[in-house]
Amino acid sequence: MTGQIAIEDVEPGDWRSAVGAAIQAGGQFDCLYAVPAGHDPVVRLVMRDGVGVRVLSTVAVASRTDSIVDLLPAAEWDEREAHDVHRVHFDGHEPMRALVGHPADRDAWITPVEGPDVHEVAVGPIHAGVIESGHFRFHVVGERILHLDLRLFYKHRDLEGVAAGLDLARGVAVAQRSCAPCAVANSLACATAIESLMGLEPDEDLRRGRTILLELERLYNHLHDLSALCSGVGFDPGAMTFAALKERAQRLNLRVAGHRFLFDTIRTGGGTTVLDQATAHEAGGELASIVREAGEAWRTLTFMESVQDRLGGIGILDRDQALRRGAVGPTARASGIRTDARAGSPAGLWYPGLEPARPDRPAGDVAARAGVRAVEIEQTGAILGELLARPPCGPGLAVAGRRQAAVGVGRTESPRGATVCCVEAAGGRIARLHLRTASFANWPAVADVVAGAIMPDFPLINKSFELCYACVDR
Amino acid sequence: MYVMYKRLQQLRRGIALPAPGVPGSLALRHVDCGSCNGCEHELANAAAPHYDFGRYGLSMVASPRHADVLLITGTVTRRMAGPLLAAYEAMPEPRLVAALGNCALGVDVIANPDELAGPAEDLLPVDIRIPGCPPSPSEIVEALLDAMPLLRRPIRKDEA
Ligand code: SF4
Repeated sequence: MTGQIAIEDVEPGDWRSAVGAAIQAGGQFDCLYAVPAGHDPVVRLVMRDGVGVRVLSTVAVASRTDSIVDLLPAAEWDEREAHDVHRVHFDGHEPMRALVGHPADRDAWITPVEGPDVHEVAVGPIHAGVIESGHFRFHVVGERILHLDLRLFYKHRDLEGVAAGLDLARGVAVAQRSCAPCAVANSLACATAIESLMGLEPDEDLRRGRTILLELERLYNHLHDLSALCSGVGFDPGAMTFAALKERAQRLNLRVAGHRFLFDTIRTGGGTTVLDQATAHEAGGELASIVREAGEAWRTLTFMESVQDRLGGIGILDRDQALRRGAVGPTARASGIRTDARAGSPAGLWYPGLEPARPDRPAGDVAARAGVRAVEIEQTGAILGELLARPPCGPGLAVAGRRQAAVGVGRTESPRGATVCCVEAAGGRIARLHLRTASFANWPAVADVVAGAIMPDFPLINKSFELCYACVDR
Repeated sequence: MYVMYKRLQQLRRGIALPAPGVPGSLALRHVDCGSCNGCEHELANAAAPHYDFGRYGLSMVASPRHADVLLITGTVTRRMAGPLLAAYEAMPEPRLVAALGNCALGVDVIANPDELAGPAEDLLPVDIRIPGCPPSPSEIVEALLDAMPLLRRPIRKDEA
C-alpha cells in the first residue's frame, strides 16, 4: 500500500526504454502525472511490483516528452489529463483528444464516425434522474451504438491545484472533498501518502480502525449499486429493498463513526474513531442482519428469470481488454482478473489472508459485475464482523518507524477499485497532490463495452460499473 | 419474490411514517452543478422506504419542463452555469429554486475560484435553502414540504 523511497530519474531520451524495462521487470501501472516546473514540467510514472512501488521520472524539455501509451494503454487518460492541465505534449499520442479541457471545436474531442445512417445522440450534462453531470456523445445507427465519446469534467473544481501550497495536514480534507461515496478511500489514500512522506507508520489500533471505515464505505456503496441495478431493469421491489438496506448501512456509519458518509474520520497521523464495546457489539448485530438480508434479497434476484435475463451477456468487458485498460476493482474481478488492493495484507491496514472475490461466473458482463458485489458484501460483512467483535482500543496513531519518502504513494481499494494518491512536498507544504481514483481507471472501459450494444442497454451497462464523476473531475 | 414483498411490507409498517398533512405536490428537477455526490445520494435516499417522499407529494421529474422546483447541488462550476441556466429557462412559471447543501449555498466550498461561476444565489433567485454537508434525507423532505405553500395561489373563477 505504501513504501516509495526514491525517485528514479530517467534521461528524456531514455524514457520509453526505461518504461519498457520496468514493465519487463514485472511492473504494473498505477498512475502517471505531471508536476509543473515552468518551461520544463516533470512527468512521473508510478509502477508497482511484488516488492514495492517505483517512481520513474523524466523532464519534459520544452514541455515535450515521448508518449508511453502504446506500452501502457492504461495511461491513456493520464497522458490526456497531463496534456490538458499541465500542457505537456506527448509525442506519439495521436490523436490527442481533449479530456479535461472543453474546447468549442468538436473535432478536438469527438471521434469522426462516418457511414450510411450514422447519426449522433447527445446526452447530458444534465441527466434525467438524480445523477451527476457529464456528457455522452453516442454515434449510432438506429438503436445500435457504434462508438461513445465521453465528455466528463463538467464538475472540475481543480482540487489538485487547490491542494498545492497547503499545509501537509490539510491535504486529506481536499482529497475527501473530491467525492462523498469514496470519501474514506480517497482521504485514506492521501493520508497514507503523506504519512509515508513523513516516515510514519500506523499502529495496530489505527490499522484496524481504518479498515473498519473502508469496509463500512464499501458496504453502503455495494448495497447502493445493487439497488441502482434493480432500478436499471425496472425491478422496483429489488431497488427499494437494497435502498432500504443502504439506508440502514448509512445509519450504521452514523452510529459507529458519527457521519452518514464517514466524513472527517480520516486524518493524517492518527485516528478519530473511538468505539466502545457496547456500540461495537450493537453495530456488529445490525451489520450481521443487513448482510443476511442482502444475501436473502440477492438470492431472490438470482431466481427471477425476468431480471437475470436482462443482466446476462450484455456490456461484456473481456479479460484481455480489462487488462489492457488497467481496469480495477469489482469491474476487473468480474472479468476474471484476480486483483484487489486489499490482498496481500497492505501494511497500513488489517486484511489478514484476504483473497480477491471471485464471482460465480466471471464473464465480464453486467450479471458478473452485479454478482461480484453480492459476494463482496458477504466478504465485507465477515471482515467487519471480526473487527467489531474485537474493536480497536483507541483511535490509534501513526508513529515514526521508517525512512521518509521523496514521493508519498498511498493506495486503497475503494468500493470501485484501486485508488492511488501521490503527494510531493516542499518545505513542509504540499507541492503536488495527485489523486487517481478507481473511477478514473475504469471510465475508458465503459466506453469500450458499449460499442456494439443497443441504446436502451446503456443505462444498465453504465450502472453495472456505477462510476463516480466527482472524483474523476475533481 | 414473495419473501421480498413480505419484507418490504414489514419494513414499511415498522417505519410507520406519519400520514401526509396538507395535500399538495411538488415536481422536482435536480441539477448537479459540481457537487461531491453526497447531496445527490441523500436526495435519492429521500425517495427510499425510510423517508418515501412520494407519500407527501414530492416526485423527481425527468425534464425541467415538468418541474416546480429546481434543486441545485454543488457550487456552480463555470462549465455547469450554462446548462443550469438552460434548465431554469425551460421551467414553467411559477417556479422555485432550491440550494441543496452547503456547497450550493456557498458555505465551506473547496475549489479553485477560477473554475467557479459562484454559488446558486449569484446566478438565480434562491427560494429554498437547505443547509448541511450533506443535509439528511429528512431535512431535505422537511425543507421542501415547508416550501409547498410558496406555490399555492388562489384558483381563479374561470379555472374552477
Ligand atoms: S454540501 Fe457537502 S455533501 Fe453536498 S456537495 Fe458540498 S461537500 Fe458534498
